[in-house]
Amino acid sequence: MNKELEHNFVELLEKNQNIVHKVCRLYTNNYDAHNDLFQEITIQLWKAYPKFRGDSKFSTWMYRVGLNTAITLYRKSKRSINTQQFDAVQFKISAEEYDDTEEQQLKLLYKAVHQLNDIEKALVFLYLEDKNYREISETLGISEVNARVKMNRVKTKLRTILNP
Amino acid sequence: MDELDLLKSHWQKDDIQEKQLSSKDIYPLLLKKSSSIVKTLFYISIVELVFFVFANSILPMLLSDSYSENIDVVYGNPLIMKVVIISGYFIIIPFVYFLYKSYKSISVTDNAKKLMESILKTRKVIKYYVAYNMVLAFVAMIIAFYFAVTRNSDLMLKLDGAATGKIILLVAIAFIITAGFVFIIWLFYKLLYGILLKRLNRNYEELKKLEV
Repeated sequence: MNKELEHNFVELLEKNQNIVHKVCRLYTNNYDAHNDLFQEITIQLWKAYPKFRGDSKFSTWMYRVGLNTAITLYRKSKRSINTQQFDAVQFKISAEEYDDTEEQQLKLLYKAVHQLNDIEKALVFLYLEDKNYREISETLGISEVNARVKMNRVKTKLRTILNP
Repeated sequence: MDELDLLKSHWQKDDIQEKQLSSKDIYPLLLKKSSSIVKTLFYISIVELVFFVFANSILPMLLSDSYSENIDVVYGNPLIMKVVIISGYFIIIPFVYFLYKSYKSISVTDNAKKLMESILKTRKVIKYYVAYNMVLAFVAMIIAFYFAVTRNSDLMLKLDGAATGKIILLVAIAFIITAGFVFIIWLFYKLLYGILLKRLNRNYEELKKLEV
């Protein structure tokens, strides 16, 4: 039974691991910290998995656990302080649609998102994942109106960072 | 086009390169120990419970007989000491219960705000426990001082000859030392929890600000 549970979980996580990677990308800025956070999120997911009822999608459930771990539970590890920072994020843009200025723009945008605070990043993350405001508000525990207002403020903030 | 929507279109296609883990890489992660703040908070609370139980009840028992006799003399009555110890146990039971209950209520699948609130509530239970012990230490110190002065015949003889001013000074010194002791412990806790919960508090404030 336990083995089966473990097997199912690992399979689901393997398939959906990009969600966890994306959370780690947003909240950390070096490889060690990324791996550390990935590990902590995996542990939290695994601990909560027996209570996962399947009435929501596994991915939706992962957003919540992943973000909660990143915003609230995760303690920055000591060893991440001295390690090398990420170079700019690499986008795999296919050759036919490759556009140098677009890639530059994406990198700048990504850097700007990194300058936001933890809660703002969570909003951006859920927005990028195409979640509607009801889901965003339910994940963060704020009202839908406030989620919308805050999202608009975050967009303005990003614009200011990009065009000072 | 909205800047963020440009990122969104690439984000959705999983365009960011990540090293993919195989199931073989994931299995060992399940065996790793969590290093979340809830775990740290849990360990700290256990240490605190054990420390104060030890300091309040076991420590006096371990001390030499002559010392416990001294304590009995100081308190004037061995019964007082026993009452203090036993009431200590009665107080600790509800604390352990509330601590257990608040730990149980921490769920990573709650929404972010609720999760933060459950953690802060747990921290509050620990805070009350420490505060209770600080008050107890303060009161015990004052009672002990009172009995030491009134029941210890040597000291009484010495004090009889002393001027009132000197006695007041003595009381003041005892008070300052006790207050200083409580203050240092308070500072230690402020620092410990301040560092541990800094990020959580900041994020909680940020979420609360949205509701105004």
